[in-house]
Amino acid sequence: MNAFQLAPFLLIFPAIGVLFNGLVGRRFVEADAKSGEKWSGWFASTMAILAFIVAAMLFFSLRSNEFHAEAVKMFDWFNIPSANFYIPWTIQVDTLSVAMMLVVTGVGSLIHIYAIGYMHGDPDFSRFFAYLNLFLFFMLILVSGSTYLMLFVGWEGVGLCSYLLIGFWFDRIDEQGKAMNADAGRKAFIANRVGDLAMILAMILLFWAFKSLEFGQVFGSAIEMFEKGEGVHLFGMEMSIGAVTTAVTALFLMGAAGKSAQIPLYVWLPDAMAGPTPVSALIHAATMVTSGIYLMVRSNVLLEIARESGNLVFGLVSSPDLIALTGALTALVAGLIAFTQFDIKKVLAYSTVSQLGFMVAAAGMGAYVAAMFHLIAHAFFKALLFLSAGSVIHGMEHGHHHVHEHDHGDDLHGVPEGDKHHEVEKFDPQDMRTMGGLRDKMPTTYVVYMIGALALSGIVPLAGFWSKDEILAHGSQNNQVVYWMLVVAAFFTAFYMGRQLKMVFFDKPRHAAAEHASESSPLMTRPLIALATLSVLGGLLNLPFLSESIKEANHGHPGGIWLGLEGWLEHSVQAFHLSEEGLIHLPHTPVVLSLPVAGASTVLAVLALALAFFVVYGKRPKTADERDPLQSTPIWWFSILPFEWFYMHTFVPGFKWLARWSADTIDWAFWHDFVHNNLIRDVFRGFANFASDVLDANGVDGLVNGSGRFTRYVGSIIRKTQSGYARNYALGVFLGTVILLAYFIFSY
Amino acid sequence: MGSPILFFILAFIAVLSALGMLLSRNAIYSALFLVLNFVTIAILYLVLNAPFIAMVQITVYAGAIMVLFLFVIMLLGAERLGGVASSRDWEWATAGILGGVLLLVFMLELVLKPGGGTTELAATFIDTSPAALGMRLFEAYVFPFELTGVLLLAAMIGVVVLGRTKKRGKDV
Amino acid sequence: MFSTVTIDWYIILSVTLFTIGAMGVLLRRNAIIVFMSVEMMLNSANLLFVAFARQLGDLDGQVLTFFVITVAAAEVAVGLALIVTIFRTKHSISIDEINSLKG
Repeated sequence: MNAFQLAPFLLIFPAIGVLFNGLVGRRFVEADAKSGEKWSGWFASTMAILAFIVAAMLFFSLRSNEFHAEAVKMFDWFNIPSANFYIPWTIQVDTLSVAMMLVVTGVGSLIHIYAIGYMHGDPDFSRFFAYLNLFLFFMLILVSGSTYLMLFVGWEGVGLCSYLLIGFWFDRIDEQGKAMNADAGRKAFIANRVGDLAMILAMILLFWAFKSLEFGQVFGSAIEMFEKGEGVHLFGMEMSIGAVTTAVTALFLMGAAGKSAQIPLYVWLPDAMAGPTPVSALIHAATMVTSGIYLMVRSNVLLEIARESGNLVFGLVSSPDLIALTGALTALVAGLIAFTQFDIKKVLAYSTVSQLGFMVAAAGMGAYVAAMFHLIAHAFFKALLFLSAGSVIHGMEHGHHHVHEHDHGDDLHGVPEGDKHHEVEKFDPQDMRTMGGLRDKMPTTYVVYMIGALALSGIVPLAGFWSKDEILAHGSQNNQVVYWMLVVAAFFTAFYMGRQLKMVFFDKPRHAAAEHASESSPLMTRPLIALATLSVLGGLLNLPFLSESIKEANHGHPGGIWLGLEGWLEHSVQAFHLSEEGLIHLPHTPVVLSLPVAGASTVLAVLALALAFFVVYGKRPKTADERDPLQSTPIWWFSILPFEWFYMHTFVPGFKWLARWSADTIDWAFWHDFVHNNLIRDVFRGFANFASDVLDANGVDGLVNGSGRFTRYVGSIIRKTQSGYARNYALGVFLGTVILLAYFIFSY
Repeated sequence: MGSPILFFILAFIAVLSALGMLLSRNAIYSALFLVLNFVTIAILYLVLNAPFIAMVQITVYAGAIMVLFLFVIMLLGAERLGGVASSRDWEWATAGILGGVLLLVFMLELVLKPGGGTTELAATFIDTSPAALGMRLFEAYVFPFELTGVLLLAAMIGVVVLGRTKKRGKDV
Repeated sequence: MFSTVTIDWYIILSVTLFTIGAMGVLLRRNAIIVFMSVEMMLNSANLLFVAFARQLGDLDGQVLTFFVITVAAAEVAVGLALIVTIFRTKHSISIDEINSLKG
């Protein structure tokens, strides 16, 4: 089977979904809310599922093609021959991109279906699904592009969708009169701009150095030039390839820091939880935020060259090491901050930041497969956790609604509308302090949440255990500093998940809403069960002993029915090192199950869970107002880390000044006053007057009226031939017959 | 192709009956003239070694179809509507001229043709029995033959639909 | 000259009958007569088919005649039904009164 030519449909299906929901979806919902929501939601979901089917077909095509990458060209994008600048719009189908496509469309489809239930009753139902499909469209461009420029288009596109979806309820105002959701959207957008600037600089550098932005060409010429020891002329000086790749990868780190929420730009991700929960799950946990890791893994050749060249950033560390350290530090710090959060979704958000730190650290250490493995496993269980959290929030809102109606049911007429409204506003359904005891109220959600939390904590044999331990095993071999930071971060992970489980599902309900919470609809719980299954079985993707034994059984070749992620990705991710003879391609370091490492991390995870469960949160808090036991310890200081301050006092004023200057000087003074008023308006007015008074009145009107009059005149003549008598028409036929016959006979 | 004398007698009757049909004031007479014309042509078919077609001509045409015509004429009482259409002169003139030209063209062509009137007959005398015709019909022409069945069915349904009157307001 | 009857004579007879039929279609007022004229035109064509079949020693001409007769039967049935219907609505079968298509 070879279905490579189907690749464009990967983009076409979501695009159709955007058009449907963007243009006509609203009419369906307005015409009939019940069936309209079904149409709108299921249309979008079907498009996501179709994209998943296309991705699956590409998967099988790659297998039958012996894993050879295929580039499917859709059209020429840029072609400037004089500058030797040619970029086609090409879809790269290789093992790495297909792995990402499967994750994006697979998890995306489940979340689409979940969202039909979650967004039920929202007046902007169809707008939500239009955005969601638009996100899929751009995310698939990001992972399927064959050039850095296409990747960047997707990169910016998903940033836009993230902004639109965080601010989806942009008209919601909190008690202080601030539009929190809209602010959160802007924050994400601005923080990402910083990373995007780095991305643009990196691309400029790449193009200068290698005269191409196409992955294969860049990597090929980088390797070739590096082997020959050639340099490039940039800015009037000679730069070695090692220096170029170091600079580029350092810039990539900055780009990834924006998109994948690493220190110091992670501040936007916790705020992004203001968006609807399916968005948090899809964009801010499973897919978009992992695009920084995808970028690193995709650019593994550049990272390896930067590592081998020995060039240092600021004379301190090599850029891959800088990446690994940044990731590890992020994992550590975000894990600590997660201790101090009360919002159920913010805990998960900081957890996401922390886990992204794990992946970035793995990529920096050269453990690309481990990074991808954790990326995929994380997509499963973090999407599961977010969606379950959404289910919890749904249940709490339902419970609150129930309580409210019950309390005021009798004297509802006596309660002024304003008071009632105020009462609704004060309750926060996401605050874990008001929860507790939901284990009995929401059994399905409880079970799947438990699975997700244990997978995240790294408990055998769930997906998170295998992927996290692979990163840790690589760390213990390559970089002790990073290794120990990550071990502590893993301990923190288990601790805050234990805290959350305890606060949400155990003890007695601390609020009336929690007492009356109820299970969500099957439309929401079924995707949860699917994701829970994936979270349990995700480890099979890259079981250490399994893929090794299969390799042995196949005489050193991965294959058979099951080839691990390792065997799958080795066709697009390479590792090598420099020796006297030049670059030597290394076979991939096999997935090792380092028993001491795995055992230690498992013991630590169990310890941390037990610590949170029985010691720190064993007895307290009993009521919603009671202080958190950690609140009096130094750990709580982490809730006020200065990154937020840093963001507010550097990027925000800078952007405000830039925006003000653009508005006042460029837009108003120059563009509006001068160009618009003086140049464009006057010239246009002159043209318009000429066109209306001279051209239109005489020329166009004369032509139009004249043609009308001519047609009527001709018609008045021709209509006389139409007598309506059949014999007149027969006469015409007869005339033609005679003429034809005469012609044939005499022309013989 | 038959003896000249027989041919001329039959051709004479055929043309005369055709003119009779054309010029009769009463539609019944026209129909009867047409029957005569058809029978004459059927005899010509026999002369031309086409016995099956001749019989079909008499049963279907001179029999069934013409009876149908007579039925309709009597049903509608339309025999009185004789005469020619109230056409204008130019219509008469054009039709007449065209008819004349048609006749003339063929006459001239056949007369002026080099070696006119000496066309040879086919050497072989073929089997034209109904059995042979049937074999040809069901071998080479079986698909068109089935199609004519569909056509007749469609015509039948069409006639039934056209014939309904009383329930039209309710049903359609 | 008249020792044998050649195909030419059949052609002339056929054309003559055809012309008479055409005149009937063009000039008669009674719709039923118009129909009969059409039948005669079909017959003249049939005659020629059979004559050529004899001339060429080929059975296909007769087969075609057979088909023409079938189609003519269907046509007459539908045509007469139409005339009856028109008579019901207009109480006339004079084609002078049917000119709804007048432009």
